[in-house]
Amino acid sequence: MDLMDSMWISAAGMRAQGTRMRVVAENLANAHSTGETAGDLPYRRQVVHFRNVFDQELGGDRVEIAGIETDPGQFPRRYQPGHPSADAEGYVLYPNVSTLVEMMDMREAQRSFEANLNVIQSSRSMIRETIQLLRA
Amino acid sequence: MDLSQYSLFSLTARRLDYLTQRQTVLAQNVANADTPGYQPHDLEPFERILAGQNHGGATMVATHAQHFSGPQGRGAGFGESEMAGPYEVSPTGNAVVLEQQMLAVGETAMQHQLTSELYRQHMSMLRLAITGRR
Repeated sequence: MDLMDSMWISAAGMRAQGTRMRVVAENLANAHSTGETAGDLPYRRQVVHFRNVFDQELGGDRVEIAGIETDPGQFPRRYQPGHPSADAEGYVLYPNVSTLVEMMDMREAQRSFEANLNVIQSSRSMIRETIQLLRA
Repeated sequence: MDLSQYSLFSLTARRLDYLTQRQTVLAQNVANADTPGYQPHDLEPFERILAGQNHGGATMVATHAQHFSGPQGRGAGFGESEMAGPYEVSPTGNAVVLEQQMLAVGETAMQHQLTSELYRQHMSMLRLAITGRR
């Protein structure tokens, strides 16, 4: 049934947004994970990539996680001479995670998730109406 | 008694078919709302499909059982194409605007409701004519 297909497509979208949410959570949780000793690199921010794939079975474009890559951006340095991973000059490398950027990403994932949910609800009500025709 | 010979029933069936396929296309758009470079799709307006039922009538003749009968994908009969005039295109080349898609989804759901209600009314008219009571 076609409407079931559209629900599957939306479910795949929700799954992709869920993965994105997980990555955002990982980034936020590790926003202050520095290296353990001097010279150790801190946590590197991860980024999710989406791509659309043609699903033979559904006969439509589904969304899929193309990969989770690391952000090559520079690590900010902070002067903290007492820190175990401080270098000779007393600077510590911090993860290249910006909590503001992560919050924005989280909001966007949430909105996209809701939009997919909306489509599922609307498809379901269409299916229900079609079934109701039998009762007429 | 073949219901499809009543024009309203065949029209209703066609309309429901169209709305179902449109819903699938819109679901694809929403699912790919963050995919770089994705262009949203939509079906041709239903009025135009009705008006030009036999436009572009060049179809291939199948002279062998193993011949394919042209485009068979989703929305093949309803002129699926890229959505005209998206509100904006993001820097990644994605032209899906969720608000626009939600509007279209709501519109589709409403029209589906209207069409199934029409079907039900017509059915009850038929029943009235047959049985003489509502």
